Amino acid sequence: METFVIGLSIASILFMVALGLAIIYGTMSVINLAHGEMVMIGAYTTVLATKHLGINIYLCLPLAFLVTATFGLIIERTVVRRLYGRLLDTLLATWGIALILQQLIRIHFGLGLFGVEIDGLGSDLQNVPVPAELQQAIRVFGANIPVYRAFVFVAALALGAITWLLIYKTRFGSQLRAVSVARNTAAACGINDKRVNMLAFAYGSGLAGIAGVLVSGFKTVSPDMGTPYVVDAFLVVVAGGVGHLLGTFASAGILGEVQSFVATWANDVYGRTVLFAVVIFILLFKPQGLFVTKSR
Amino acid sequence: MTYRTASIIAYIAFFAVVLALPLVLNSFWTNRVAIYLVYSICAIGISMSWGYAGILSLGQGLFFGMGAYMLAMSLTLAVPENNPVPQLMLLNMEPNAVRDLCCVTTGSFLWIPFRSVAVGMIAGIVVPCILAAGIGYVMFKRRTTGVYVSIITLAFALIGQLLIINNQPLTGGFNGLADLALLEIGGFEFDPYGPSAYYAVAFTLIAVILLARYMLTGRIGQVLKAIREDEARARYLGYDVENFKLFIFCVSAGVAGLAGMLFTLTSEFATPSLMATSLSISMVIWAATGGRASLLGACIGALIVNFVGSLASESATFQPVWPIILGLLFVVVVLFMPNGIAGIFKAFIERNGRTERLGETRPSGKTERSDKSERVQTELTAREA
Repeated sequence: METFVIGLSIASILFMVALGLAIIYGTMSVINLAHGEMVMIGAYTTVLATKHLGINIYLCLPLAFLVTATFGLIIERTVVRRLYGRLLDTLLATWGIALILQQLIRIHFGLGLFGVEIDGLGSDLQNVPVPAELQQAIRVFGANIPVYRAFVFVAALALGAITWLLIYKTRFGSQLRAVSVARNTAAACGINDKRVNMLAFAYGSGLAGIAGVLVSGFKTVSPDMGTPYVVDAFLVVVAGGVGHLLGTFASAGILGEVQSFVATWANDVYGRTVLFAVVIFILLFKPQGLFVTKSR
Repeated sequence: MTYRTASIIAYIAFFAVVLALPLVLNSFWTNRVAIYLVYSICAIGISMSWGYAGILSLGQGLFFGMGAYMLAMSLTLAVPENNPVPQLMLLNMEPNAVRDLCCVTTGSFLWIPFRSVAVGMIAGIVVPCILAAGIGYVMFKRRTTGVYVSIITLAFALIGQLLIINNQPLTGGFNGLADLALLEIGGFEFDPYGPSAYYAVAFTLIAVILLARYMLTGRIGQVLKAIREDEARARYLGYDVENFKLFIFCVSAGVAGLAGMLFTLTSEFATPSLMATSLSISMVIWAATGGRASLLGACIGALIVNFVGSLASESATFQPVWPIILGLLFVVVVLFMPNGIAGIFKAFIERNGRTERLGETRPSGKTERSDKSERVQTELTAREA
């Protein structure tokens, strides 16, 4: 039962990171390797905000969303926009951006070179204080469940629901879906596809930022924390089926649980190894992913 | 001057510089440059599979690391204290285990063949090839293409790295294999800081370039380019696309394995960090900077990036900024120089060639081979066969 709950919280984080990546990859065919750095920036936003502004972790959620969405917007405007249609090149360019962002945190946004150091940045490990009410554990069916893990799970569900509403119930969502199915046709019908791209990229990055806030509550924060997330999340996206919200949800759940159970049964390393093996297996035998979007 | 003459001159000049360098370098820099040349060999492997056939493998580090480990295992056993059982196994073994390589820890029998250095050297190429053949067979027969190939190879490299770190008693874990003996062939010892190891690397590099060029300018190269441009069309023309891709993927892995062995020879260690994602992606960037579709370009790209990188890491001011410059380099190369340094060189030669011809009274019959005409050429050759 405890293993199951840990699996759920791993899955929740994976889901939030993967959701943003799925929107970006699904709509624009851009592989954003800097997505993990959005998680990292979200986590650092939390560190800085709790240290300097004294606000708690709940308020950090919208704040981190705004900060990372802005970063996403800048990245889209400056680099990604020039690379549409060149899938493998987006992968390389965004890896470069990831390197830059990591190093910017390490050198205090360049201020470190002039001897100015901001508390909370740099290459050291950081910790985020978690409010007392989230540190307890509740007993459900005779198992101890940390409230924080439950909180992460609820947050992921809420974000999933909001994203679902956004994509399937709003005007922007229908434009987004139109662009991802047939970009040129959508543009010909008067949809500003460049604007849709830009907003989708920003929204996807913002989701990763929120995931970063939640991660910072139970993991130490460091400049290179993001890279494992982007790889795992990308595996979740392709295993679940590109452009399929439910597929991302299901595959995040499955992969999170697989990792958690194998990790408890053997160790962490085997947990990840089995995770990769499962994904490779899925990709080889169902290259479209578990759920296939039907399109003409 | 045509592009063909210019590139032949460039190759010869490059070989001459590489061979002459140890005459002017001290032992520290001889060793450093030898390592950069090893990285060049990696970049050639990438150029072969990515530049010519369009297969972007992000797991090249796996093959590189395996090559390094194969030779490092042999060289570990060549140290007298490590006989009959390496120190690292003695430190980690069960208290009452038999002190023999067959059964000191689980899986230690895998080390037995490596008592012979020759086996280690052959395995350094053959094992990555076989592994690549296995991965490639499953991938290409399932018709996995493009970015999925990249992701699958990336995942394999991560698995490899995790398994090596995790099996501490067998592989030395996170610290890898260090304290190696020097490689000795027929009584001749290769000193990593002397010209001997340097020339071993340099001659291998030249041989790899010449062989790869011989192979890729021939029919195989043409078919691979056709596959890169349009896989379905190549298939309809009757080519066995999967086998061609499998072949170049294995060759590329073998080249990476060879580079790995030379890395062990020059740096005297092998660690799991050789299989890290960041190194695999760096290799791709070296090739991209120099020009992915040019063997010499990829080679020079690796040299320049690593050389500037190590210069930067020696100065206290530039050391923290270097990763940012490297990141910007990724972005700039991808955005503005898709064909890298070699592409700029080619454009320059062709522009000069054109002005020369305009000045001549009688234009020569030779036409330029632009990218487009090259593609048409490819299709024509493909159709002829």
